[in-house]
Amino acid sequence: MPEPATDMVLLKAAGTPPRLLAKALFLAGLLLLACLASLLFGAGDVGPVRALTWLLGGGDDEAHFVISTLRAPRALIGLTVGMALGVSGALLQAVARNPLAEPGLLGVSAGSAFAVALILVMGASAATLRVGVAQIGALVGCLCVLGVARLRGVDGDPIRLVLAGAAFTGLLGALTSLLLLYDQRAADEIRFWVVGSLSGRRLDDLVAIAPGLLVAGVITLLIARPLASLALGERVATGLGHQPKLIRLLVIFSVALLVGSATAVAGPIAFVGLVVPYAARALAGPDIRRTLWLCLLLGPLMVITADIISRLLVAPSEMPLGVLTALCGAPVLVAVVRARRLPSL
Amino acid sequence: MNSYSSSDVAMKRSADRGPTLHGPAHAPNGTWCLAWSGNGGQQHSLLIDRRGLAANLLLALGLMASSLAYLSLGSLTVAPWELIDVLAGGGDPVASFMVQELRLPRLAIACLTGAAFALSGCLMQTLARNRLATPGIIGIDNGATAFAVASVVGIGVVIAPPAMALAGAATATALTFGLVGGGGARGYRFIVAGIGVGAVFGAITQLLLARVSIDVANSAYPWTVGTLNARPSNAVAALALGLPLGLLAALGLSRALAVMRFSESVAKGLGQPVNRRRHQALILAVILTALAVAVAGPVGMVGLIGPEIARYLSSSRSVPIVASALAGALVMVLSDLVGRTLFTPIEVPVGIVTSVVGAPYLLWILLRTSRSLA
Repeated sequence: MPEPATDMVLLKAAGTPPRLLAKALFLAGLLLLACLASLLFGAGDVGPVRALTWLLGGGDDEAHFVISTLRAPRALIGLTVGMALGVSGALLQAVARNPLAEPGLLGVSAGSAFAVALILVMGASAATLRVGVAQIGALVGCLCVLGVARLRGVDGDPIRLVLAGAAFTGLLGALTSLLLLYDQRAADEIRFWVVGSLSGRRLDDLVAIAPGLLVAGVITLLIARPLASLALGERVATGLGHQPKLIRLLVIFSVALLVGSATAVAGPIAFVGLVVPYAARALAGPDIRRTLWLCLLLGPLMVITADIISRLLVAPSEMPLGVLTALCGAPVLVAVVRARRLPSL
Repeated sequence: MNSYSSSDVAMKRSADRGPTLHGPAHAPNGTWCLAWSGNGGQQHSLLIDRRGLAANLLLALGLMASSLAYLSLGSLTVAPWELIDVLAGGGDPVASFMVQELRLPRLAIACLTGAAFALSGCLMQTLARNRLATPGIIGIDNGATAFAVASVVGIGVVIAPPAMALAGAATATALTFGLVGGGGARGYRFIVAGIGVGAVFGAITQLLLARVSIDVANSAYPWTVGTLNARPSNAVAALALGLPLGLLAALGLSRALAVMRFSESVAKGLGQPVNRRRHQALILAVILTALAVAVAGPVGMVGLIGPEIARYLSSSRSVPIVASALAGALVMVLSDLVGRTLFTPIEVPVGIVTSVVGAPYLLWILLRTSRSLA
């Protein structure tokens, strides 16, 4: 039996709203639990019992120090980075109409990382500079892959777009290694950042990325409706009074802001933008207005859970967060590709 | 389809008598026909593809020239005319040490690994009928690397890196083919599944390196980028033994592979046991990749560029087995030469050089080809 066309699915979804609120509440509960666990568990001496005692008002100085200066900022940053990456994945997939379009896979994160490495090698060192540079790099990376693919007419082919993104990511990764090899000081400065990790970040980083995230959030709220109409086709969107080109540009701009901010803080983390919208679509249907809200909850859930596991798995040392997201993201990639017919967006 | 077009060096029975060299009147266009009668009165003839021969000669010449450059350039430049003296055992002792102890073994390793990567790339491309299906892209390199790193950092498994690399390559291949299901090696879907498998093994490699102390991690670092610096001698010996055997086996398969480039039913109709040949070629490609990775780590893109150069130079009527191996060796030698000399005193790992050169080429292939390929 042929699958119903996308717009039919959309209409059906609009007619019978799923029990979205219950699901969202459940996810919010899970997220709260994850945040709590992120405060309780860690690689060091302060175990769950001591941490819980401190949280309930008692406890000792060491627990106070570990939780308030190490674990709490880390949980907050995980929350922010997760939201940014999840939403950016959903946006990028909606605008590319491609379930495989993921910032990490398409080279957006790699562009951002390359820009930061380049500016460090050229002599800059300030941490505040990093955010803007990472965002510009993300924008250039995004425009490169999507723009060239559109120019050459391969943007309708999801799998080839991903291949082009993978090649682009490989190129930028090699160039980044080359730069770091060339400049030992820069390499030392960003050695742990470049593999993607939440450890050792400070709250200052969060303040630095806040304006970009706010702008991206406002843009996303404004374009959610036009984007949903774009899913029905370019002509429908035009007929409803929206401008597809403007929507696309705005989406790419806000994706660059989101991914650039997340990368500036946590380094390039792949696959979050693939898994989270995939799960959100499974829960809420194809309407972008619903999936975006779920992405806001699912993204942090995934990042914080992965962060906790990365702390516990190889304790007392830590491993990069990107490793874990790749371990759970790659099977999803294979699952999407395996589907006999690629779901179109 | 005629049987002439199956290989650049094809044996066929012929009615000609005596060892004679025929011109275009008897042989198909662009080939020489070498015919003789064997013992027992059997008639044999050998069809030599002129363009393939020229391509092989050209690549061999290029390889020789770049090898000379490889031996003479570096932190200490040895002039080409002094090289002969040095290679004969005489000359300046410093130059002699430099060339004989450092550069010559490394040159040999570059040639061996490059040839193995490109040969396995050529086999995979042909059997998947897709230029992008090289072992590096579909995750076989990463699988071999993950297992080899596991044996280096010691997780209780004490097996030599080549054997572990082989196990890893086989696992990654089985996963990629198994996950993509009944569709087989057709189309881009298979490749994206391979990218996913490669990402998992890349993450496992990182995970293994994160578990150990920084010194051990540093010693295992070459595995993650691909370099020709200080390679384990047992792995080199395994590769030196395995590559000639693999080359011979590939030549044996070349005729079947040439037919298999057509549709499956054509290949079957021409009498090829398609599935068995495909498995043989796949196993050969996996073994060659594993042997090369055990020596040099995952050097990307050589498996893509080598066969591409070979195919560009050779005629389209055959699968360029020898030319791929030669071109791979050439690419590897030149890349390592660039990596050693361009940013002295820093030595750039050869894997980074090949990625920087190869990735734009891959992008170009992807964006140039028309929609119909997908």
